[in-house]
This record gives sequence, structure tokens and C-alpha cells, in this order.
Amino acid sequence: MKSQILTAGPAAMLLFGVFFSLLILRVPVAMALGLACLPILLIEPHLSIMTLAQETFNAYNSFILLSVPFFLLTANLMSCGGITDRLVSLSRTLVGHWPGSLAQINVVLSVFFAGISGSSTADAASQSKIFIDAQVKEGYDLSFSIAITAVSAVLAVIIPPSILMIVWGGLISTSIGALYLAGVIPGLLIAGAQMVTVHAYAVKRGYPTYPKASWVELRCALWQSIPALFTPFLIVGGILLGWFTATESACVAVLYSIALSAFVYKEIGKKELYTALLDTGRLSGVALFCVGTASVFGWILAYYRIPHELLANVSTWGMGPIAAGFFIAGVFLVVGCFLDAIPAIIIVGTVLEPLAKSVELHPVQFAIISIVSLAFGLVTPPYGMCLMVACSVAGVRLRYAIKDTMIMLVPMLLVLIALIIFPEVSLFLPRLIVPGFLK
Amino acid sequence: MPSMPQPTAWRRFTAAYAKLLEILLALSVGILIIPVTLQIIARFTNIIPHYIWTEEMARFLFVWCIMIGAMVGVRESSHFEVDVWPEMSRRPEAAVRIAARLGTLALAVVFLWGGAQFTKFAFNRTSELAELPLWMIHAAWPVAGLTWIVFLGEQFLDELRALFGRSAS
Repeated sequence: MKSQILTAGPAAMLLFGVFFSLLILRVPVAMALGLACLPILLIEPHLSIMTLAQETFNAYNSFILLSVPFFLLTANLMSCGGITDRLVSLSRTLVGHWPGSLAQINVVLSVFFAGISGSSTADAASQSKIFIDAQVKEGYDLSFSIAITAVSAVLAVIIPPSILMIVWGGLISTSIGALYLAGVIPGLLIAGAQMVTVHAYAVKRGYPTYPKASWVELRCALWQSIPALFTPFLIVGGILLGWFTATESACVAVLYSIALSAFVYKEIGKKELYTALLDTGRLSGVALFCVGTASVFGWILAYYRIPHELLANVSTWGMGPIAAGFFIAGVFLVVGCFLDAIPAIIIVGTVLEPLAKSVELHPVQFAIISIVSLAFGLVTPPYGMCLMVACSVAGVRLRYAIKDTMIMLVPMLLVLIALIIFPEVSLFLPRLIVPGFLK
Repeated sequence: MPSMPQPTAWRRFTAAYAKLLEILLALSVGILIIPVTLQIIARFTNIIPHYIWTEEMARFLFVWCIMIGAMVGVRESSHFEVDVWPEMSRRPEAAVRIAARLGTLALAVVFLWGGAQFTKFAFNRTSELAELPLWMIHAAWPVAGLTWIVFLGEQFLDELRALFGRSAS
């Protein structure tokens, strides 16, 4: 037994008390997480301030997290290298004649984007620049434009490749290949739900519709996009065939998008490359720094066995797999409001795993339920990364777009419910293609 | 306080330092691609031997990359924060910002202090695979702490001016 001065209860109060007080004072989340650990590190004789440096180091010294800058870089390269432009024209010819054309294109582009980059933040950042202004100019409401851009950006972590799935697979040993396949159907269903929402909005508010594109235009746009559309098959296929690991696949995505931009579309120069690299460094720096301090926070929670104390009663409730699925989704939906998705997986995912196991929830289904719930957390206040990014590009406060965002989340929640009740929604594709990966 | 048309030597220094960090940041992201690519190539061809240190190199460069990104993030105030306050005029806004930055400053001091111990602790150790001196990686913590203090200094000054300045524009 370790000799601890504090017991789990007071330690938890201290940790969360300091954390939330600092958040209210508007201390950045990453700093607040680090500072919340400080009193504990000083009180406990076995810990010291150096623990903070050591544990953040351990978090960053990880090959898995390398996929974060790679996927961000892929996204930045897509934007400056002409890949995004091709995919926009393809989306335009596919759904441009539906009511609310530009917003539909916004959603469809997110689907294509999700198939290439695994980062929702990157999706929100690049599509906010493309769509928010353009939609407002065409007469869409600003709050609607922000909301649909942010909400469609979450597809990037549900449709493969996905940073969250790589982190999940690395932390809670689950086959990343199986997770990728399992994310496809839920991702497309959520995209469908968003398109229905856009349709309803567009009809009600009279948003503009473009004329239908001709077959020639469609063929032409498709032909130009084929090299880009090939990316998800390269990445997912490469992992399933054992050509490369998940992190390496993110690097392959970078190399492929450099090759496309430089040799096929020929739109990238030295200056654009530098900007892409710098923007990637900026965003991954702040996002991953937070992962480090969150890891220390999670490490201290585990040190006091706080999560186990919290969940001690839950296992006696006698839940079945469906009830447990709803419970897990609920926990992640709440946690996702306050924490970024990767720290949430680190702190909560590992804690919920025994519960999922005990009710015989399939590990892959468990992962997808959690990841989809956390994806919703990317747009829920107060800490919804994608919504924050979209609002900051639009130059408004977070609360401005909350109402429309919440309305859009309702149909998406239906998909989450279906995901919990029907295991086949997530398990159908992996069972069909790689039954061996499901054990 | 009269507004200064010419930036002081100190401000020029911090601006140049920030520029240097930006270049290092972009470089480290770019270089990160190399060891991982080598790793993939080595698996499929015999052009290059299967280096065992590529993964470790990638991880160590990555650590620096994150820490430099976090340093730049403080200068640009781009670390994400939760926004619960109503819209405020310039002065109360400056007061809240000062309070928030005191938090970052506290962590900066912790990183400088704890990081110095952390670096000293690693002085005679080398990494497992590439046998790099570990202090070169651990040094990122005190450097980050110091850099934050430098960048926070001028931000405090700006906010204090806004708080007590004659024109509350």
C-alpha cells in the first residue's frame, strides 16, 4: 500500500474544485488541468513537482499521438494544394441542386474530408474559412452557417481515418482496422441525418438552391477527384493488409497529399508548404499540450483510484449491454462538454472498459459508442473544440450559435441511439470484411 | 502614458524570439515526416537498413514540437479557454485577462522550477535506442517555462495599460 495523505474523496474535491474554479477565471483549459494537480503534488510526500514534468513527458513521448500533427498537416495540405477545391466541385455536382445547396455541399465535403484526414479540428478550421462567409453572402443565417460547419466537422473522427480511433486502439487494445471499418456506417448515417436537417432548414427558411449540374460536369468533377478519393482506401486498406501501422498511415496520408498537390494538381509552392507546416505546429501544439496536462490529471485520479470509487456502485446496478451502452454514451456526452476528446479517452475510456466487458458489450461497439458520443462533445459548450474554431473564424462568441447547434444534434442523437440498440450498425462492416479482427 | 510609435528593444527581442520559435516549429513538423517515412520504406525495401532509432527520434522531436507549439500558443493566446463571462467593456475584460494570465504564469513558474529539476535528474542518462543525452529532451520543460514568462510579461503590461490607462477605448 502506498502511504497517501489524502483519501479519494477529498482528493477528488480538491482536483475538480481547483480545475473548475480556474476554468471560470478563464485560465486556459490546459493550464487549469496542470495547476489543479499542483496542490496534490505538494501535499503527497511520494509525489513532487517533477512528477508534473515526468508525466507530461510520458504522455508526449508516444508514437500514437504523432498521428495528430500528421492528420492536421494532411488537412492543411489539402486546402493549399488544390485537393479541397476538387472535392468542393465534386460535392457541388452531387448535391448542389438540393435545397440549401451550399450547406449540403458543406456536409458532403466533410464526408470526403473525413475520409482523408482524421482530425475534426482541422476540418472545422478549413471549412469555416470556405463556407461561413460564403453561406452568409448567399442569405443563410450566420448562426446556422456556423452550426452546420461545426457539426459536420465531427464526421472526421467517426469516418476513417480517425485520430480518436488511433488513440483508442493504442490505449484500450482494440484493432484499429476493425474500428475504422466500424465507423463507416455510423458516419454515413450521421451525415445523412445532417443532410435531412439542412433540407428541413432550407425549405422552412427558403435558402437558395443551385441549378442541377449536367452529367458532363459530374463526370469531369469525379475524374479530377479520383486521386483524392483514393486516399481512404489507401489508408484503411494499408492498415488492414498490415502494410503500415495506424500512425504510419497518417504519415502516408501526408506523403500522398504532398504528392497529389505537387505532382497531380501542381498548386503548392514553398510558401504554402511553410504556412501549412506552421499552422499544423500551432494547432497540434496547443491541442497536444492539453493532452499532456490532462494525462497528469488522469494519472492522479488513478493514483487515488477515484474513477473506481465512482464506478463501484455502477456494476451493482445489473445493467444489460443496452443499458450500459446508454450509460457509457451519457458519461462521454457529459465529459465531452468539459474536456477535449483525447484527454477524455485517457481519463474515462480506460475506466469504463471493465464495465463494458462485464456486460459483454462488444469492444468495437463500445469504442464506436464512446467515440461518437465524444464527437458530439466537439460541438457542445462550454468546451466544444469544433464550435469554438468555427465561432472564432466567424468572429462571434460561442453562445451565438448554440441554439442551431443543439437543434442539429437531435437527429444525430437518433443515430447514436440506433448505434447502442443495434450492434450491427457498427459491427456489420468489420464482420463482413475482417471477421478475424473481431476475435 | 504616451503611446510609443517605435517598439522598444525588448519588444523587438520578443518578436524576433517568437519568429525563431515559429521557424523551429515549422521545421520540426516537417522533419517529423522523415523518420516515420524511413520506417515504412525500410520495411518494404532493402534500400536502407531497418533503423531501430527512427521511432525514438520521431518521438523526441515530437516532444520538442509540442512544447514549442505550446510556447507559441501562449504568445498568441491560442490555448483554448472556456468562455462563461458575459461580453464586457475594455477594463473589466482586461482585469479578467490579467487574472487568467496569472494562472498561466503560475504554471510557467512550475515548469521552470520542476523542469530544471527534471533536466538535472536526466543529466547523466541517455535514451534507450538512439543513446541521445536525455537532458536535451527534458530541457524543453524549463525552456517552455522561461519562454512563457517572457511572453506573459509584455501581455501583463498591455492589459495593465488598458486597465489603468487614461483612454478606455
